[in-house]
Amino acid sequence: MSKLATPTAATSEAFLAEAGPRLADLCTACGACFSACPMAAHIGLGEADARAVTAGLALLARGEAGPVETVTWAGACAKSGLCRDVCPEQGNGLDAMLLVRIARQKAITTTKQLGAKNDPTAFPRVKTFARMQLTDEELEKWL
Amino acid sequence: MAVTAEQAQNARKAEKVTFWFGCNMLRHAEMIRLSILLLEKAGYDVATAGGPAYCCGTAHDQAPKAASTMAGRTVQRFNAAADTEGRSTVVTWCPSCHMHMSDIMSPGNETRFDIAHVTEMLAASADKLAPLLTVPVNRRVLLHAHAGFASTHVPVNDRVASLLGLIPGIEIVEGPAHPGHMCSALAAVPGALKKAAGESWNAAVASKCDTLATIFHSCHRELVALDGRDGIQVRNWVHLVAEAMGIEAADAYRDWRAGKAPDIAAIEKADPALYDRLIAPELKKPAPL
Repeated sequence: MSKLATPTAATSEAFLAEAGPRLADLCTACGACFSACPMAAHIGLGEADARAVTAGLALLARGEAGPVETVTWAGACAKSGLCRDVCPEQGNGLDAMLLVRIARQKAITTTKQLGAKNDPTAFPRVKTFARMQLTDEELEKWL
Repeated sequence: MAVTAEQAQNARKAEKVTFWFGCNMLRHAEMIRLSILLLEKAGYDVATAGGPAYCCGTAHDQAPKAASTMAGRTVQRFNAAADTEGRSTVVTWCPSCHMHMSDIMSPGNETRFDIAHVTEMLAASADKLAPLLTVPVNRRVLLHAHAGFASTHVPVNDRVASLLGLIPGIEIVEGPAHPGHMCSALAAVPGALKKAAGESWNAAVASKCDTLATIFHSCHRELVALDGRDGIQVRNWVHLVAEAMGIEAADAYRDWRAGKAPDIAAIEKADPALYDRLIAPELKKPAPL
């Protein structure tokens, strides 16, 4: 069981807005997170310059356009989490996986370098599956 | 963070928890029901919550304001359950929901509850569950595992192995830990899901396993299409625990993926047009291998 974080912002959106620049300031672009990422090889970046790729994270997290390799890498984040423990700045408060997550979000919403993966049928689909399987009581109580 | 025996005991004193199963688990009603049953057998009073009304917002990066609103609404509902019913622990199933709550929802919302994954709650209640697992399950099982979530939030692979280890007759074979936190995270990256599925399947064949056990719903959704191939059955860990309890562990989604038609009454209830447009194409999707 885990205690959850004490809030530092009024909403999740506000938290992400303040966390982006804060985490960017902590990142030294050492490349350790990229080197540990098992997804890099999947997207043809196995031989990429880890320092250059990670330097782009800070740009994106601040809402500035980043190198295409950084955008591609952040877009392929599968939340393996191996980046977190290898980050030498973890002790100073840098959550590398969160930084990548914010970089990806900024690449979608701010710099528009990444297309949104929005599936408008996702909720209707799960609701239909629910109606196929759940009793009326379960539908009433659970959803 | 793992649940200690003392923490489990404290939670059990309160007894009231909210089981938050997420959105996509709605494909697997039996897995939700079995999870509730196991939590109840472990001594908890369980209220259940999920579906879009309890969305964490993690899948809505393209719409940060809407995602934030959904996250805030969900936290408020869990706070209300804590305040009015004493449900001060939210028990998760979905690793995406769990991570989003820990990393993004709680830093932006006041939470009046703790969080735990269902596998750590149950593993910490082994003393209550073990006596119920009386039916031998003579299977040689390869566990389909991922590195994510286990490396950052909850040691879920170990917890599931520990739960399955309570079952008489079962043999557990450790499999490769794939990238990502579950298969849905790999599906968007060309070739990644096929590689993970292939590695698990080949490991099961090489280890002469007769069962591949999934941990999460999205992995089950993908891999269950392979059920029966090479003499290997695909089961979720809750199915195996239920089997050891002598409970029939049905799996409608597996049957539908195998070509069995859903009950007509179920389609009528859901709306045949929605079934044709949203459900049938998914059920006919090619297997990952």
